[in-house]
Amino acid sequence: MADPARIKVGDSSERTNSAAEQQNPKPSEADPAKTPHHQSSHHQSTGENKDASSSQDQSKQDEAKSESAAGEDEEEGTSGQPDSKRLKVEPEKKKEKRHKVDEDEIQKMQVLVSSFSEEQLNRYEMYRRSAFPKAAIKRLIQSITGSSVSQNVVIAMSGISKVFAGEIVEEALDVCEKWGETPPLQPKHMREAVRRLKSRDQIPNTKHKNILFH
Amino acid sequence: MADEEDDNGFDEELDDGTSGVDVGHGKRKRLFSKELRCMMYGFGDDQNPYTESVDILEDLVIEFITEMTHKAMSIGRQGRVQVEDIVFLIRKDPRKFARVKDLLTMNEELKRARKAFDEANYGS
Repeated sequence: MADPARIKVGDSSERTNSAAEQQNPKPSEADPAKTPHHQSSHHQSTGENKDASSSQDQSKQDEAKSESAAGEDEEEGTSGQPDSKRLKVEPEKKKEKRHKVDEDEIQKMQVLVSSFSEEQLNRYEMYRRSAFPKAAIKRLIQSITGSSVSQNVVIAMSGISKVFAGEIVEEALDVCEKWGETPPLQPKHMREAVRRLKSRDQIPNTKHKNILFH
Repeated sequence: MADEEDDNGFDEELDDGTSGVDVGHGKRKRLFSKELRCMMYGFGDDQNPYTESVDILEDLVIEFITEMTHKAMSIGRQGRVQVEDIVFLIRKDPRKFARVKDLLTMNEELKRARKAFDEANYGS
């Protein structure tokens, strides 16, 4: 499972056991330029190539690997094998890669969390543990649909709502900082944050219908 | 600001003992006050966020859930909300999409683990 905080650990000596030198600075999850599928497949292919090539060529340890270079590596790495073998080996390699990527991320997160101050630990704990009550969300959705909903729907909806609340609070903190003020957040920050998110189409609004031909 | 005074008026009325019935949009009983406070602290706000900010955020979240539910009812199987519909609506937003996929995968893993655990207990 991917963690939201991604830290690039520059010191490669910390990870002597893991063969893959994951040097790619991962783009943030909220990168609107890429859809998540493309993002993950890109990482898997670049990680896989690094694994294949790092065992042979230690000198290839670039901090920032551009995606065009990754494309070239992929062709070099898999051109030697026959097609049928390549098809069988690649999905296994990808699963292994994903596992290693998760392990690396978990390690990085552990290093990060171990260096938190007490206040940061409190905040992190609140961040992870706070959640919307499932009963209230279920009641709300059922009052709108009029029929019952499955548990997965409630899980998905409460998860998305938490991300939504986080987006608003983060934008509001940006606004607050930009205006030269300090937390706690005031309603004017929240409203300006909502206005900005609306202009980016991140807040769904079906109240206004554009009538094209009139 | 006038808006904040109106909010205080509503709060006072609720304190006087009006029930939680949905009389108007702003007079609804606060559903998520405690949880939203913790959430705002977790996301970077002060440890004691302003009540008005929490109220605004709650209204926004409820509006978000309402919009998503209405949209989900109009696609896929009409009149019902299913997970596939939510995932479809969210597909353009990378953060939310990744989060939903993670949550559903974790849920499946937990269910499997619980089932395996129960079977192990039953066997012994």
